[in-house]
Amino acid sequence: MKESLMDILCDPLDKSELELEVDERDGEEIIEGRLVGTVTGEVYPIEDGIPNLLPPDMREE
Amino acid sequence: MGILENKSRARLFYKYLSKIYDRVNPFIWNEEMRAEALELLDVERGDRVLDVGCGTGFGTEGLLQYTDDVHGLDQSAHQMQKAFEKFGRRDAVNFYRGDAERLPFRDDAFDVVWSSGSIEYWPNPVTALEECRRVTRPGGQVLVVGPNYPESSVMQKLADAIMLFYDEDEADRMFEDAGFEEFRHVTMGPAYNPDIAITTVAAVSE
Repeated sequence: MKESLMDILCDPLDKSELELEVDERDGEEIIEGRLVGTVTGEVYPIEDGIPNLLPPDMREE
Repeated sequence: MGILENKSRARLFYKYLSKIYDRVNPFIWNEEMRAEALELLDVERGDRVLDVGCGTGFGTEGLLQYTDDVHGLDQSAHQMQKAFEKFGRRDAVNFYRGDAERLPFRDDAFDVVWSSGSIEYWPNPVTALEECRRVTRPGGQVLVVGPNYPESSVMQKLADAIMLFYDEDEADRMFEDAGFEEFRHVTMGPAYNPDIAITTVAAVSE
């Protein structure tokens, strides 16, 4: 995902802000990392460039 | 109760459906109908557009004809795998995994929100429509293509068993309950069955 998408993304649970933590990037693209809910503390992984913003109750078992 | 009202079963269903979905598309939803639906919108080049339940990317492909800023969200990674093969994981389209009923986007983030062939799988369609309205800017548009009736008799039986079909009265109720004030429905389909899909285009109040 592009780092600039932080301007439109929010926590799906309460619509509060997310914090970006980067493990691997390629210029503007975040390849691996996570988005963390600043209020909920929920962790949403970025997997091979795709942010997984499914609420925790919908993640794969 | 349809079996797809259980979300984890919906994901399992998609996992297997996506293996055949684009090759043997079981629903009557073709390029002509897609073009007709796109013409109902005022998408300008540069507009930011979200495809909710983008799946294998058929609607996404149509939206790319109008603007370069296209975002696709789906709960199923298996469904999106086909879309990744068409558009790349991070080139032409910004993809996200997410839930239509709990969108991970800020208020007014998009000029237009589009959803085709997805509403029939939403357990709470009014909640998802409210979310579509929330993430669309005032003056923007939301377009939803509703259930298409499958062509094959096997898929018809499956569709009757598990999917939500609705008529214009039901669509009125859903869009009103979701807070939309201004919307219209257009039915479309192939010549032999022209009312097979219901498309609703709604304006988000200024």
